[in-house]
Amino acid sequence: MNALSPALLIAGHSIRLVLREHIVALLAVMFGMLVLISAWLGWQATFTVNRIYLDAAAFLQATGKPVPTNPVLDISPLSLMRNMSVYVSLIGALAAIVIGNRLITLDRKAGVLPLIGVRPLDSTAYARGKMTALAVLILALGTVAAVVSVLVYTVLPAISVTASQWLQLAGFFGLSTLYLAIHGLIGMTAGAMARSESVGVLVPVSLWLALTFILPQLTGNLNPTAAINPIAALAAPPDTAFFRAMGQILGSVSLADAYKFGSANLLDLTPAGIASPALLPPLGVLVLAAMVLLGVTWRALTAMNMAQGEFDA
Amino acid sequence: MPAPILSLDRLTQAFDGVTALDALTMNIAQGEVFGFLGHNGAGKTTTVQMLTTLARPVSGTARVAGHDICTAPLAVRRSIGYVPENVRLYDSLTARENLMFFARLSGITAPERRVNEVLDLLHCTYLADMRVGGFSKGMRQRVGLAQAILHQPALLFLDEPTSGLDPMGVKVLRDLILQLNHEFGMTIFMNTHLISEIAKTCTSIGVLSHGKLIYHDRIGAVTARYGDDAALEELYLSLIPVGDLAGAAG
Repeated sequence: MNALSPALLIAGHSIRLVLREHIVALLAVMFGMLVLISAWLGWQATFTVNRIYLDAAAFLQATGKPVPTNPVLDISPLSLMRNMSVYVSLIGALAAIVIGNRLITLDRKAGVLPLIGVRPLDSTAYARGKMTALAVLILALGTVAAVVSVLVYTVLPAISVTASQWLQLAGFFGLSTLYLAIHGLIGMTAGAMARSESVGVLVPVSLWLALTFILPQLTGNLNPTAAINPIAALAAPPDTAFFRAMGQILGSVSLADAYKFGSANLLDLTPAGIASPALLPPLGVLVLAAMVLLGVTWRALTAMNMAQGEFDA
Repeated sequence: MPAPILSLDRLTQAFDGVTALDALTMNIAQGEVFGFLGHNGAGKTTTVQMLTTLARPVSGTARVAGHDICTAPLAVRRSIGYVPENVRLYDSLTARENLMFFARLSGITAPERRVNEVLDLLHCTYLADMRVGGFSKGMRQRVGLAQAILHQPALLFLDEPTSGLDPMGVKVLRDLILQLNHEFGMTIFMNTHLISEIAKTCTSIGVLSHGKLIYHDRIGAVTARYGDDAALEELYLSLIPVGDLAGAAG
């Protein structure tokens, strides 16, 4: 039975090959575990504050003093997921880069491009197959994170999520999946264009480092360590001409910043008075980046030299 | 004389302004085993890459099984099989898994049955469920040959098929090539720089030097003119400029 189109055949084959890779499996498992840990940490922090409040409230009541309102009730239950955005922009983005990169480099390293190139496939089948494979694997990563968080909200006691908050959560995972896809496309483009395997990995990882740790310093004066803290990352930058200019110029390419601001908005975490310094709204920045990268990746894949058997051949 | 299955018309290729193949014109008849002889860098692989549609010529064209390589590449690909010089496969997959993938990509309707048939035909069923990563060069060449004939092509391109093989491997591969030609009528286009291989396998010969075809005739005509198969070497040496031979030796 051979009902699948060549593009789907290539996609299915590529997914199977990539999933056999230890590094991909390791990163995916790490991402899944960190998602779980992030949900547990969020719940544990909230649970601890709530318990302290209940003990304090009982003491205050017994001594006849007025009882303040529970601070846990003042924050959105979505804030349980506050650490998730960190793990998505760190380990998730890195996993996406590796997946995108391996989808191409496995073929190049194996040297099978000429054998694929002489099959009766139209000129875009290979590119369509690889991009479909990337979409499936990135969606799988995003779905793992989403399922874990839904389970957390369903299982944990004393947390109720309204319909609009479920929608916000869905939006957050949509945004996270878009952010992962951007990095997957960066990894795939580098894998297709690089002349050597090491450069194909080094370039997207350097880009990821720049997006995650360097650009936020220029747009928000944030220390690199702030990038691993979603709350501190949303501190207001110093009100100077340099940071205002940098925020406007680089803000629209500072994808990690855009993702953090977008996530904070969706998870009800944005501190009052803080707004993205970029000219474009965070979602606009990410959608634009994804569209540009889709075009660049498509061009890189369709322009691949199928006669070339392997790297540096 | 049978109709040509391969017809090259002023086929030209250039890289960075340097001509790699200079207006190559020739015909290969159906059922031939054609040996394409030339020194390293003569343009043999460049020719095969264009004929297999992996590269586009800068000018001129060719027809493969009646289809133009520039305007009907898909039809050309359905008619050909290709074994590159160094057969590279997915090392982490078994021979069968590799072949199944290429069979499906070739649009074979019953890929499993066809893969078994081809493995049986090439006497390498025992390799089927072994990972390719552990294969010797000879084993790889056989699986490489298997992937090339899965869809029963009319024309098979082999780029230096015996390069790096031990004498037994060379003999096994040569026998398989001849079997494909005799039993299935497959036309074979074989790049090589081994004169001995041409003498033992081919029915016609072309000699390429610096992108130009400097000799093209049937083996029978060569042996009739020069005496015996061993004279092929003499012919080749008389055709190739001395400088090229020095370069090849270096």
